[in-house]
Amino acid sequence: MSADTTQRYRSKVTERTINTVQPEADMPAKIDDSTWQPGTEKRSLSLGTTTLLLGGACAIGFGVVSAVEAVLGYFDSYPITATVLGSLLAGFVLCMLTLVGREAKGFMNVNKHLSRQLDYQALEQTSDKAALLASLKRHASSFSAHSYAARCYKTFTQALNSDVSAQEALALYQRTVVKPVDKRAQEVINKESMTAGSLTFISPNHLIQTLMIVWISFRTIRRVAQVYGLRPGTLGNWQLFKVLAQNIAAQSIFDLATDEVANQISGSLTARFMENSAEAVAAGALNVRLGKALMKLLR
Amino acid sequence: MRDWLKQMMQPVQQVSSQGMSQVDAWFLQERHRFTITGLSRSGKSMLFTSLMTILKYRSEEKYNCLPLLESLPMELVDHMRIEPLPGYAMFPADAHLQALESGHWPAPTEQAYGFKLIVRLRQTGNIKKLLMPYTDVVFEFIDYPGEWITDMPMLGKSFSQWSDSAWAQQASEPQKHYSSAWHAFVEGFDFEQPPTREAVLEVVSEYRRYLQHAKAHGISMLQPGSFLIDGSGFDWRAEGFAPLPAKITSDISHPWYKAFAQHYAAFQDNWLTPLKESTFRETDKQIILVDLFEGLNHSRQHLYQLKETLSHLAETFVYGNPGWFARNVLRQRQIGRVAFVATKTDLIPESQKPALLSLLQQITEGAVAKFADKPIQFEHFLVSAMQTTDSGEHDNALRYTNPAGAYVEANFEPLPSTLKDMESDAHYPVLQAQVPKDHLPRMLNGRGLDRLFEFLLNQEA
Repeated sequence: MSADTTQRYRSKVTERTINTVQPEADMPAKIDDSTWQPGTEKRSLSLGTTTLLLGGACAIGFGVVSAVEAVLGYFDSYPITATVLGSLLAGFVLCMLTLVGREAKGFMNVNKHLSRQLDYQALEQTSDKAALLASLKRHASSFSAHSYAARCYKTFTQALNSDVSAQEALALYQRTVVKPVDKRAQEVINKESMTAGSLTFISPNHLIQTLMIVWISFRTIRRVAQVYGLRPGTLGNWQLFKVLAQNIAAQSIFDLATDEVANQISGSLTARFMENSAEAVAAGALNVRLGKALMKLLR
Repeated sequence: MRDWLKQMMQPVQQVSSQGMSQVDAWFLQERHRFTITGLSRSGKSMLFTSLMTILKYRSEEKYNCLPLLESLPMELVDHMRIEPLPGYAMFPADAHLQALESGHWPAPTEQAYGFKLIVRLRQTGNIKKLLMPYTDVVFEFIDYPGEWITDMPMLGKSFSQWSDSAWAQQASEPQKHYSSAWHAFVEGFDFEQPPTREAVLEVVSEYRRYLQHAKAHGISMLQPGSFLIDGSGFDWRAEGFAPLPAKITSDISHPWYKAFAQHYAAFQDNWLTPLKESTFRETDKQIILVDLFEGLNHSRQHLYQLKETLSHLAETFVYGNPGWFARNVLRQRQIGRVAFVATKTDLIPESQKPALLSLLQQITEGAVAKFADKPIQFEHFLVSAMQTTDSGEHDNALRYTNPAGAYVEANFEPLPSTLKDMESDAHYPVLQAQVPKDHLPRMLNGRGLDRLFEFLLNQEA
């Protein structure tokens, strides 16, 4: 700027030197493109294992106590042994109580999560970026640390900058969190449904078939929940159990129907093959239904 | 008719000469031709350098840059490559990056450069994967001296028309303040002497001095801008011209009029016409870069003059939105999407950006009016190719390193959101931010490029 301009016009910018050096900017974060695996969290000794070990120790301890009971006599007579045994028992009970407490808390979390689903319609109307980001953060706080949803949310927060408006942030959230998580959940459901169909196809009788469906259904719930970032142990949720029960009932009715059709045709191997195929397709479809219901609840 | 047939046969000829690569280009390439129009010092070269660097780091290193660029999803980018654009010298990106490395801004452009930036995207659909395993998104960019663009409106004027309008501009603010020496020279010059080579050179040199002086003081509408840089393909020393007083232009038999009109015609035929056909060829997307700080740095009058300049520039281009048949069969190219971009926006606080955007919208009103009756999509953007500043103590402050190497906090009074709100006796001195040592992360943290290119690339925008 020339001296001429400075003389002719009054400056609307004032400057002062500050006694610090310019801070160094960070490189943008890199996208984490490693393959996400559910339940990869490693601990040296899990609480469940500890409980089992303590349980085993108790059993052994009590066994030992029983074995040496005659020798050791009463508590008053052998206080140290009795104290050790009492401690082991107390640890076991404490861990069991903690597990129960976590399950109860998880159940509460699920219900809390369901009651605070994001209202996208309301968010689309807002221009208050801070409020919007707070809503998204609150929602994301229910994601467990190592879930796929948490990883996507991290990518989202890394991409945010001061230049992004509220609506752009919402679009970015949907593109970097909602869509990838839904896509991953859909992949899990497809895979689990295929497994459900395959197991149904090879099941020799209805009891085993039903048990298989129950097992795959619970596994589907757990795996989809892992994608969405809810702890697998927190899904004692009546809405899902209702869908699960409906599925099993539907599968049973379908079994009866296919049996009847197979009897009407003949008792041949072909008829058996047809029956099992139809049941397998139905099992897969019902598992997809369960998965969809779960996605709707967790989204 | 012959031309039309020739156009129709062009694809067949291309296939026979280039074989399968041409077929690949038809089916596997999505081509975007961009004209990036900007006056001198509007930041074109820095924008190109930044864009190339950001896309490179985004594609190859998977840095989370350009988050709003949904049309080039990171997970689908296979690789990015840069190729020369036929007929142009390769854009000196490496030289610009080296300049930044040594703490200098890229040198002003003095010749036309071009490059093709090709981003290969993987297909997601199962069937598409087999038939067309990838899509190449091809960007064609041309960088040229901003001084050339201001000369384009001269193509539609005769010498006397141009001369009279140049005099009129010099007689009004803000040019008036800087043209006094030139006017004094013309006043004292003897136009009765014959227009010998030496005499012509004397007049043209003096006029050029005025152009240089005015340019140094933020004047944007300076014609001919090509005289200001030696890289232009026109010899101003041998065939230069300058605006003449009305007493001479009114007499078409005057020897000085004849000499300058002849030189002016040569300038149009030998320089401007080929330049328009090569560098300013018709494309389908246009980015108009505007450095509002050139105006804010000086005065309200400078901003009004910038508005006028942009309005004249818009006359140079062909706007329209041809349909599929016209575009693909008749090979018609018209600009269907226009982005008005204010550059260097890292030089104002975040809180002042809405006012800057509003100012940009007002400054470009004249240019927008040129295609108001056509189906053109246009939008306004704020962009910074590099984030050279940091946030200050409060919302209206910024921190930056000045040329003396001191870290300075600048406090801004509120920016006007309209031209009339700007006080006539006040200005906003532009921050002379130096190239930061950590220029790479600051370039990757540049603002607004994702929003801009998403608008230009998105088919549904």
